Parts: sequence; structure tokens; C-alpha cells
Amino acid sequence: MKQYVLRRVALAVPTLFLVSVIVFLLLRLMPGDVATRMVEGHAYAPTLAALRHDLGLDRSMHAQYAEWIGNIVLRGDFGRSYWTRQPILEEFVRRFPVTLELALLTIIVSVVIGVLVGIVSAARQDSVSDYIGRILSIFALSVPYFGLAVVVVVLPSIWFRWTPVWTYVAFSVSPAENLKIMLIPALVFGVTRAGPIMRIMRSSLLDVLRQDYIRTAWSKGLSERRIILRHALKNALIPVISLIGLQMPLYIGGSVIIEAIFRLPGVGLFFFEALGKLDYPVVQSVNLIIAAMVVGLNLLIDLSYAFLDPRIRY
Amino acid sequence: MRRLALLLALPLIVVTAAPASSADAQTPKRGGVLRIAEREAPSLDPHLSISFLTHSYVSLAYSQLVRFPNGPEQKHPADFSILPDLAEKWTVSKDGKVYTFNLRRGVRFHTKPPVNGREVVAEDVKYSLERFMAKSGFNTRFEPVSAIEAIDRHTVRVTLKEPYAPFLNHLANPSFCVILPREAEEKFKDFNHPDAVIGTGPFVLRSYDKGVRVVFERNPDYFMKGFPYLDGVVIEITPDAAARVAVLRAGKADLPHIWGWVSPEEGKALQKTSPELLVVPHQVIGQGFIYMRTDQPPFNDIRVRRAVSLAIDRKAWNDALLFGEGCIDPGPIPCALKEWKLDASKIDAAKARYLIGHDPAEAKKLLAEAGHGKGLTVPMFHWPGYVVPWRSYYELAADNLGKVGITVELKPEEYGKYISTTALGKYEKMAMGPSTPFTEVDDFLYGRFYPELPTNQSRVADAELSKMLTAQRREMDPKKRKQIVDDIQRYLADKAYYVYVPQWPQYVAHPNYVKGFRHHDGYGLGMRLLFTWLDK
Repeated sequence: MKQYVLRRVALAVPTLFLVSVIVFLLLRLMPGDVATRMVEGHAYAPTLAALRHDLGLDRSMHAQYAEWIGNIVLRGDFGRSYWTRQPILEEFVRRFPVTLELALLTIIVSVVIGVLVGIVSAARQDSVSDYIGRILSIFALSVPYFGLAVVVVVLPSIWFRWTPVWTYVAFSVSPAENLKIMLIPALVFGVTRAGPIMRIMRSSLLDVLRQDYIRTAWSKGLSERRIILRHALKNALIPVISLIGLQMPLYIGGSVIIEAIFRLPGVGLFFFEALGKLDYPVVQSVNLIIAAMVVGLNLLIDLSYAFLDPRIRY
Repeated sequence: MRRLALLLALPLIVVTAAPASSADAQTPKRGGVLRIAEREAPSLDPHLSISFLTHSYVSLAYSQLVRFPNGPEQKHPADFSILPDLAEKWTVSKDGKVYTFNLRRGVRFHTKPPVNGREVVAEDVKYSLERFMAKSGFNTRFEPVSAIEAIDRHTVRVTLKEPYAPFLNHLANPSFCVILPREAEEKFKDFNHPDAVIGTGPFVLRSYDKGVRVVFERNPDYFMKGFPYLDGVVIEITPDAAARVAVLRAGKADLPHIWGWVSPEEGKALQKTSPELLVVPHQVIGQGFIYMRTDQPPFNDIRVRRAVSLAIDRKAWNDALLFGEGCIDPGPIPCALKEWKLDASKIDAAKARYLIGHDPAEAKKLLAEAGHGKGLTVPMFHWPGYVVPWRSYYELAADNLGKVGITVELKPEEYGKYISTTALGKYEKMAMGPSTPFTEVDDFLYGRFYPELPTNQSRVADAELSKMLTAQRREMDPKKRKQIVDDIQRYLADKAYYVYVPQWPQYVAHPNYVKGFRHHDGYGLGMRLLFTWLDK
């Protein structure tokens, strides 16, 4: 187990290196640069050259990359925003709880809905409730979360002079107020993310319910509730957990738009605005931190299989 | 029934409320906090960003030497006459090259460390204007400035290399020359830190919760006694456009944009659904055009350019996209810039037809004469992300041109590419987009037509025109300058260097209880809010 973890951690290094290089290069492959974006065509050549020099953009690409990655590895310094000149890590740490809370609430919503509907669908295969569950899952898969979010924000404002957009209050300041603000974004995002979980849950449970040990359980005269919840569910959950792991980048990526629409000052919004402004250090560093988190989370999820299925050993 | 009554009353509300005089006639009430839903400004340092958001945010806290009229002072939204701000009075030498400004005495910076309410002196002006010249993306506006001197504690002298008529307008523009205290830069390295926002303006920046809200409070020591009326202003950071209008509808914000702007469609929809809001269209400075590489075939041929202009059916365009409320004659000087605009109706009709006329048959004839009888295909580079209704603009232009035999291949570009190439004149054949709404006529003329400038997107190089362009910016007598500007407009009418398309009126929306908020085209929000009050 220990060796497995160490091996996985060692493998994360080249992964993150590649992420850092790709993001660094992709940003610079984008047409225009941050200096032209800052002055939007109003400045003439001397001002632009001075600005590029000021930002260090007049140096070679590998020098810029080496400085950025070197500062991170050697000093834990993720750099400063070109626009606000503020330290990136400080801003990331300040904003991360918002995104983390949104992601956790979204996971809870999507798992509760997805797993429950999936179980009912599988247990009552080809019944009315199964069809309703399947229609719901197709709906959740088909509706883009950003579209649903705009509808949820705009329509009540027209119909009822009400909208679920509030000024953000931190959980530490007022938990009740905070949950009021976070719940609707999490519901909107969670419902659309529940679609794939419903489908995987249903097919996985159907598969497990046809296994010999379930037949044995039935023949022992156990109740349906006990068979599904005690015997089948745990095994059927493995692909669902894998799916949540695979969806993890989507939870973070989706927060970019959800945070913008619902006015949540999280990392997603930080990233979204930095991308629009070609704020290279912010985009690079936030990307790298999130990539590191996704790698770490996937490792945790892989390790959780051993807990769910005692036959799995590392 | 109540809803019906409100709907019937709506046109009455809009028409009667349009002039702000009724609001001005009421006695303003003190107090209250105005809530604005807007995106986050990319920076708070007015010299390190050219974003209108930056300049609008910080205009609440800063003053300038001179300023534009606002509220009851202004005759119309594009009134750019010059009023005193920190400079009490000023003189201009006969040769137009030396400006001497006398500062108001006893004006103090906000009482925030490290400045702590120190008096504004001539050295602050020198420091701020020199910093602008060294750091701002707009600094080319001050190219003719050769020296800035603090003569004594309250007198500043600015010397120019040559007479430069636009100088005071640029000095009054809140995007350019706010007066900053040196100590704040020394302590915070620049003016981007919220604690470094220390000015002499009507509001004091009290707190800034990044990504959430910016809180301004009334400056009790503001030098215009009795102003502002508001106790404060809160900018609620709202990145999404749909959410901004939703919070206005839901009564959670008073302005859905830093200037209260909504698109024509949103404006119309709000007029129908939200009678508690005042939604008024204003003719504002705006301009959209097709630009062409006039230094290359086929657009180096005036007949082809004229054909492009004659292909545009501006009246149908105005009716189809702008509810018939737009201005069909927005170039080369925008309709709203009334002091300088020479209407097409006052130009020889034979020439003006190439500015605003629609004649597909003539367009086809001109194309045939130019050797394109079988038609021609051209790309049209553009950025599709501009506000509604811009996306429809590109399609309608392509449709209009297609009807005379010019097949347009729409070439959408990513913003970074558009703004750093196409918008700077680096494109092939043809492109389309809006102009920055400048406050100084020089930017629409010299900036747009003088050879080699990046803002000369059609790459015009016309020696006769260039002489007039230089002459108007050196002419210090406003009447004589206006004559040259008129001559330029007459000269340009049939050249079709740029082909202008109709400009929509800008809808401004806010609740009825917001009074005295009058739109002004001058980028600053602080002065608009100086006269704003809440009737509730």
C-alpha cells in the first residue's frame, strides 16, 4: 500500500510537469498578448514595449517558464497577477473555500439524487418509476448547467421580482446565510451532474443484482431492502465512485460559470476573469494547483476502492 | 387590471420622465446608498489600466484639474464644455502653448494613511500628470506636452510643443488625468491596492471585498459644499450580464451596469415587464463601421468603396434591429457629438449619398466599372462578442453587400487576436466593428484618418485630408476649428474610407426612486453620482 502510494506520487511529478508546460505554451499560442490586452490598441509601440519589459515578457519563453516554475518549486511562490499585482496564492487560498464548498454541496446533491433515482430505477426495472428515473437522467444529461442556471436566475426575476442571486457571505460569518446563498447554485449544478450518476448507478446495480451471491441472498429469504442496501449497493457503488473521480475536474471547471452567474467569489471566477484578461501567471498557477488537486483526489478515490471492495489490494 | 393600468401608463411614464428636469425640480433628499451591479474592475490604478470599469470605479474617489459638466450642469449627454475641478481657474497663452492653472486652496485628500488629509498642492498635479505620461496606455494624448512645472504651492504651468486644441478635453476626461498623492504609491507601489485609493473626490473607498463588493462612503469634506446627496455607493460584483438585469428586476440593485446601461432589447423588455423602473433611451456617442484596406486592391478603388456604402440599407437596418430609434448618419463624427457634427443633410446631396444613401443598382454599376461585374468575394474580420445587437450587425452587413454582388465571408476572431491585430489595422481586405466612444472630436478625425496611426484602421493616407486634420488640432479658436472640422466632414462625405452603419440609442435603466442620475458620455461615474439622490 505504502509503496503504491509512493509510486503514484512519483508519477504525479511528470504529469504536473506536462500540465505546466502545456498551459504555459497554450497561453502564449493564443493570439495577442497580455500587454496589448491591457491597452486595447490605444498605446503606441514605445508604451507597449515598456509594458512588456515591465512584465518580463520581453525575455525568452524558456527564461519565463524557468522563473515561474522555479519560484514555485524552490520558494512556493506562485507569482503575482499581471493586472492586480497581488500574490496569486494568497488570492487562491482566500477564494478556495467558496469553490470547495460549492463542489462538496454539488457532489452531495448529485450523489443523493443520482444514487437514489438509480436504485429505484434498477430495483423496479421497466416499471413507471424506472421510466421516470430514466427520463430524468436523460434530461439532466441533456440540459447544460449554465443554461439552467441562467433560467433559474432570470425567470423568477421576471415572474416574481425575485432572484436567487445574493451578495456572498462566508460560512464563517453566517452559516445559515451562507447556505441560503450556496444551495440553489449547488442544486442547479448538482441536478445536471446527477444524470450520469443515475445511469451508471442503475446499470451497475442491475448487473450486481444478477450475480450469484444476490440469488443466494434471495434464497435465504432476506428482504429486498436488506439485499439491495446491505449486499448489492456497496459493490454497485464502485463504478459510481470512479465516475465521481472522473467528474472531479468538471466540478471544478463548472464552478467557473456557476460562480460567475451566481456571484460567488471563488477560484472559478478568479480563473475565468484571468483567462479573459490573459493574466498568464494566474491562469498558469491556478491550473497547476487544480491539476495537483485532481491528481491527489484521484489517488484518494483509487485508495477508497480497497475500502469498498475488500478483494482489492494494493 | 392593475397590470393593464400600469402597462397603459407606461408610455406616459417614459415620455414624461425622459427629461431629467422634473427630477431636478424636486428638492433632493439626503441619504441612502446606491447599489450598482457590475463586473469587477481589472485594476484600481487609473494609469495601469485603460478599462472603463477601472476609470468609472475610481472616478468616485478622485478629482481632476478640470472636468466635464454633469447632472443639472450638462446640456446633453455629450456636453464636453470644461468646468473647474481642482483648478479654480486657468489661463492659456496667446500662442496656445502655455496653460497656467490656479488650484483651489484648502482642498484635502481623504483622511486615510499615509496621506491623512493633506492639502492638494501643485506638486501633486505635476506628479500625477507626469505619471500619466510615463505609465498610461492613453499617454499619446499628451504627446504635445513638453513640460509640467509647479510654479508655487497652488500654481501649475503646462507647456506644449505646439498649440493643441484637444488638450483641455483630455485633461477633463476621467480616464486620463486624475490627481493622485505620491505617498500612496510610495507605500503601496501603485494605486491598485484599495487602501491606496486616496483622492479628493466625492466618495471615499471604505472597503473592498474582492469578488464580492466595493463600498464607498460620502466624503464629508468634499470641496463642493452640500454634495454628494448619497451617503454611499456599493458596487456589488456581478460578472454575468443576465444576472445583472435580474438583480435590477428583483430590486436588489439600482443600476444594472456601472452607467445603468442595458441593450435596446433588454430596455424594451424592461419597459414592458417592470413599470417600477425608469428605462430611457439616450443618444450617446457610439459608432460602428466597416473598415477596408484602402492601401490595397480592391478597396484602393474609390468606386468599390462607394459601392459598399451604397449597398447598406440604413433605414431598413434601423427599422429591423433598432426599433427605428437609431441614428443612420453616425460618421465620421457620431450623431451625439452635436457641437461638431455636420449632418448629412447639410452636405451636398451628390456627395452625401455615399455617406448615407442606399442604391443597389448604382452600387452594381460602380462595381462593374471597377472590373468586378461578376461580383467579388471578401473576408470580413470581426469579434462576435460585442454587445447585442452587434452579432446581427455583421450578418446584416454581409446580407446587404451580398445583394450587390459582394460575397462576404464572415471571419470571427478571438478577442485577443481581434484587439491586437484587426482593430489595429492588421487584417486583409475588410473588417467591421465599433469605435471607442471618444469624448474629443480629434480622436474621430485625426486618430481615424491620419497616416500610420494604429487607430487608422482603413489605412487612409490622403495628403489633402492630413493637412486639414493637423490644422483642426492646432486651431485654438473654437469657431475656426469648427469650420475646419466641417470642411473635413464635407471632404470625407464621398470618400467612403469607412462605411458607417446605424447607431442605436443607449437605454439607461434604474428604479423610479433614483433621481438626478443623468447619463453623460464622459466615462466618470463620480460626478454623475454627485447629483444623484434617492426618493424613498
